[in-house]
Formats: sequence, C-alpha cells, structure tokens
Amino acid sequence: MTTRRQVLRSAVLGGGATVLAATALGSLGPEAAFGAAAPAVTPGAPDPNFAEGRIRSIKDNTLFVLGSNMVFHRIRVVDGTSLWKLGPVAFDQAKPGDGLYARGVRMPDGVLAAESVWLNIVNIKGHVRTITSEKIHLDHNGQEILCHQVPGKSVAVYSDAPPSADLSLLRVGQHVQVLGAWRPDTNQVDIATVFSPH
Amino acid sequence: MARNQPTDPPIDLYAAVQGEVSWFCCGSAWGPCSSTGHGACGTCNSGSMQHAWPNTSDACLSITRPDACGVSLSRRTCGFAHRTTALCSGASVVTTIADCGPQTDLFCGERSCCGATCASNRLIDLTPAAFSQIASLSAGLRPAEISVP
Repeated sequence: MTTRRQVLRSAVLGGGATVLAATALGSLGPEAAFGAAAPAVTPGAPDPNFAEGRIRSIKDNTLFVLGSNMVFHRIRVVDGTSLWKLGPVAFDQAKPGDGLYARGVRMPDGVLAAESVWLNIVNIKGHVRTITSEKIHLDHNGQEILCHQVPGKSVAVYSDAPPSADLSLLRVGQHVQVLGAWRPDTNQVDIATVFSPH
Repeated sequence: MARNQPTDPPIDLYAAVQGEVSWFCCGSAWGPCSSTGHGACGTCNSGSMQHAWPNTSDACLSITRPDACGVSLSRRTCGFAHRTTALCSGASVVTTIADCGPQTDLFCGERSCCGATCASNRLIDLTPAAFSQIASLSAGLRPAEISVP
C-alpha cells in the first residue's frame, strides 16, 4: 500500500523537489529525508513530527506558526501535502489567524515538511441545547458553541449508518461529537460531521 | 485448606479490547480547546503521544461509566501505556494515559465501521499527535483495538 509519506516523498523527488530541496532539506537530499520510516516517538513524549498553533504569517509555501505553548514552527507545504479546512482545500485557503495541527517530517533545520495540515479543525463533544435547521447550540463543558450547518458540507453519522446530509434526527439534550472548522476568534464552528450514538 | 490463588495479574487484565477511538485536545490550545487544562494527570498536551482512559480512578469511573455499556475495563493509572491499532488501516501507536475519558456511557452502543470491520463503544481518546499517526484527524472516529504493548 502506498502511504502518504511515500506520496510526499515522490512529490519531493518530482516537481516538489525544487521547492523543498533548496530550502527545507538544507544539506540533505530528499531521499535522506523521506527514505526511512518515521522513528518511533517515546510514549508520553512530544512528537517532533507534529505541530499545533496559530498561523502568524505566510511566506511563499511556508506557514509561520506560533504554538499554544509559545514554541515557534515553520511548516513547509509541498506538492504532496494534504490540507483540510472543512474539507480538502488548496494552500491559498490557509490564512493568518487560523489554528492548525500539522504532521510531517522534521528537517534538520527545524522546518516541518508537512504531510497533512488540518486548519481550524476541532472535535468537540457536548449536549445539544437547541437546534434549528441551520444551527446547533452545543454545551461543551459549560461553554456554548454555536455550530453552523453548511449546505453541501455538513453531514451526520448516526452510529454505523452511512453519513447523511439530514441532521434533523438530532435531538435537544442528546450528546454528540462535532467535528468541524472553528471560525477564528469566535465560539462558532462550521460542521463537517456530527457523530450521534443513535 | 487449599485456597484458589488469584491469578496475578488477572487473566483478562491485559487482554486486547475492541472499541471506538477518537481524539481530544488538552494542554495549551486555541479555539474551543483554549479552556482545556492538562487533564486528570496534569501532563496532557495535544502534541504529545498520550491518551485518555475511562478507568484511571474511582472518581473517573463514576463519570465515564463504561460498565453502563456492558464494558468492563480494568483500572490503569497515569503513565500506563496502551497500543491503539486502527482496524481500518492496521496502523498503530503507543501512548500513555494522561487524562480521564472518554465518557463512554454517553455514547453507549455507538458503532463505527470501515467496510465490514466494526467496533462499538468509546473506549479511548487519543491526543491529536497520536491520532494523526493512525488516521486523519478529519476522520474523527474510528474502530480500533486497544492492547498493552
């Protein structure tokens, strides 16, 4: 099976190599960077191949990200990088202020060559307080989150049933998990998937 | 008088179990996660290879109540290591307990599948760093096997 890592490696060796090899890889070639499987990370320890934080600025194909723990990250997006923002998106959808999680390969110069970048993704659980055809008010640990249904994007998964665009089976008072995209600096989320136990 | 000696450890203590795995944020964070702390163990961080387990203490178990879903999980405390294997891909990750959760009883009977492979009930939550090693964060929920490495 071809892994994302292999796809990324191919991208680096191909058209993306000119982007990545000249900068992120420093003195190493792409073969050295992606040839081996990622080393196992000590359980409980921070993963050096993972980053979280908010985008401070964007220059060329690099995201400059300040981690919530105040660690600064440079995240390089290459041809094989997958980006998510309520669904698969192009690089130009990444904006300063967006929160993110990123997984990739940490280069010797500290740059994270990204395999995947999830922009503004949240995965929160809570009780449904109120629900309309367009919005769900969610009580998440006492914090109200306003979840917006996005036509053509939002689906509900009722236990093991296939995803459905019909969210009308959700009920006030029930517990759900909302996977979605946070609207930066608000208590609002655009819904990708609502997981309901029944 | 002969007495039956308890098995040490109990014979089922380290048996693998199948259930649902999701992800949660903890530690310093942005957005709705920004009010989240470092979890029941005081060490939880989204970027670390950690997880939440429903039976870390009596207080924890009284909240998560996996028994309400017919699931019996043994007591495992902060720092205990589990291997979580995604049944969809076969990818696995080893993480340590850093929080209490998920609230299994609130999702009793829920089942997630990939093809014909399914698992029921929420038994473990991984940090984003850990979950993203075995599945895309956008998947949200996956069937998994949880074992002791």
